[in-house]
Amino acid sequence: MTHQPYNKPLPQRLPENEEFWAGLEAREFRVPKCDDCGYWHWIPYPACRNFLSTNQTWTTTSGKGKVFSYTVVHRGPGGFRDDVPYVLAMVEFPEGPRNPIVIGTMVDVDPDAVHTGMPVKVVYEDIEGENVTIWHFAPDD
Amino acid sequence: MGFPQRKAAIVGVYNTKQARILEGTPWTLALEAIQGALDDAGLKHSDIDGLSSMMYDASLTAQQMWVEQLGGRPMTYTSHGIAGALVTKAAAAIAAGLTNVVCIYFGNAGMRAGPSKQRAAQEAAPVVRKAPRVPDWDFNVHGAYMSAWYALWTRRYMDQFNAPYENLAEYPVIARYHATLNPASIMGERGEITVQDVIDSPMISSPLHRLDCSLDNDGGYAILVASAEVAKNCRKAPVWVLGGGEGIYTDFYMSFTNDWINDNGQSVRRASDIAFAGAGVTRDDIDVTGMYDCFPVTMARNIEEMGFCKVGEGHEFIKEGHLKLGGKLPTNTDGGLLSHSHCGNPSGMHVVEVVKQLRGECDARQVKDAKIGAVLSQGYAVHGVAGVAILGKD
Ligand SMILES: [Zn+2]
Repeated sequence: MTHQPYNKPLPQRLPENEEFWAGLEAREFRVPKCDDCGYWHWIPYPACRNFLSTNQTWTTTSGKGKVFSYTVVHRGPGGFRDDVPYVLAMVEFPEGPRNPIVIGTMVDVDPDAVHTGMPVKVVYEDIEGENVTIWHFAPDD
Repeated sequence: MGFPQRKAAIVGVYNTKQARILEGTPWTLALEAIQGALDDAGLKHSDIDGLSSMMYDASLTAQQMWVEQLGGRPMTYTSHGIAGALVTKAAAAIAAGLTNVVCIYFGNAGMRAGPSKQRAAQEAAPVVRKAPRVPDWDFNVHGAYMSAWYALWTRRYMDQFNAPYENLAEYPVIARYHATLNPASIMGERGEITVQDVIDSPMISSPLHRLDCSLDNDGGYAILVASAEVAKNCRKAPVWVLGGGEGIYTDFYMSFTNDWINDNGQSVRRASDIAFAGAGVTRDDIDVTGMYDCFPVTMARNIEEMGFCKVGEGHEFIKEGHLKLGGKLPTNTDGGLLSHSHCGNPSGMHVVEVVKQLRGECDARQVKDAKIGAVLSQGYAVHGVAGVAILGKD
């Protein structure tokens, strides 16, 4: 089997979010948590949305959540066209009160078995030859 | 201080031909549309002194080039965004004396946005050796795109409100019926469809089938908003701007809040409440509407957020046929984004159709005695970008 280079879009690894990307490499899904009000924030901004506090700390989440919504994609764009059917999910993390809802593909799952409320966990994929690790979700049995 | 009602009017509108592929460039199609709207109004290009671009990347440089194109005199007002909000803000600027004739313009050719375009580009390109880098939280990393994202929203809506897919699938049926009455629509000539036809069309991203999805085509349009002083000498009766509003929030496909769908409402609710209050009309006063309708769930949520029904009941409102010609809220009588045209940034065409309805120019699809219309432009779902304009004739 010949080696196929990864040809799907990859995220830019920007210095201001280095803690996040380093976290994925360490198998941790980290988001900014406000030191003042305790809210967990996704996507990351330099200040807390609650009181605009900049006292935030990158904090490791449980890496678990529940399917908030999902779709089975039958027509994929670009490099995803050969992956169909694949499952795209929005996953709600338990870290409240403003629970992060994170979008990602699901792996190791029967598309017909996916349902809203399904328990899932974050899984990680290192991309060969690239400086970035990306995340997916898998059933949390 | 309220909205300056009837201080500005839409005096000219024009849609170019809308088709899968058109000759020309975004510029030439916008130009054709502007000329068409000027002819409709009986105005000259040198009358325009305000520009509102519907381009996604409405750079200052691009606006300056259009100023040169339109005669090379200084303009006194520019804006960009979505059509309902641009009409509203143009009217407010006119009432404030900043400008007299504002031209809202858009054209698109050869820039189709969907997977078919991406696929064609990929097949034409050399073998990819390196993954393309996109903004850090971009949903493209996860194989998402418009239809897949709206599928997520549709599923959530169905689960949250026990909304049957079949209720939502009534919307493409209504849109196609309207298109059959509009000779300019892309899909009208294919005839009417049924809910079963929607279900039988290929699955794109569950639960959305092909007939749930917008078209992806070329086309252009232009809208002229003018002062009452200018309007009284134009060719056609003025369609007054009675009120309007804009709402901007999140949902740019990366960041979501729970409850995603809630009773407090999001951008569309804010824009609508401001618009109806400013216009001094009620929901019951609306005779005809044009609402951004990229997918059926968008329509269900539109009518909920605009206050035409309760949150969670939009799918029943659709099922009951109220949006159809002859119903209590005839909507998107041109066939909308599913069956008339989605030319890239199409929200201005909802304005064009409502203006034509209020003028009585809609022939077989004319809403009888339409006097007050509402337009809802939006992007990034009802939570994201919203523009509402309330329009009325004398
Ligand atoms: Zn805080």
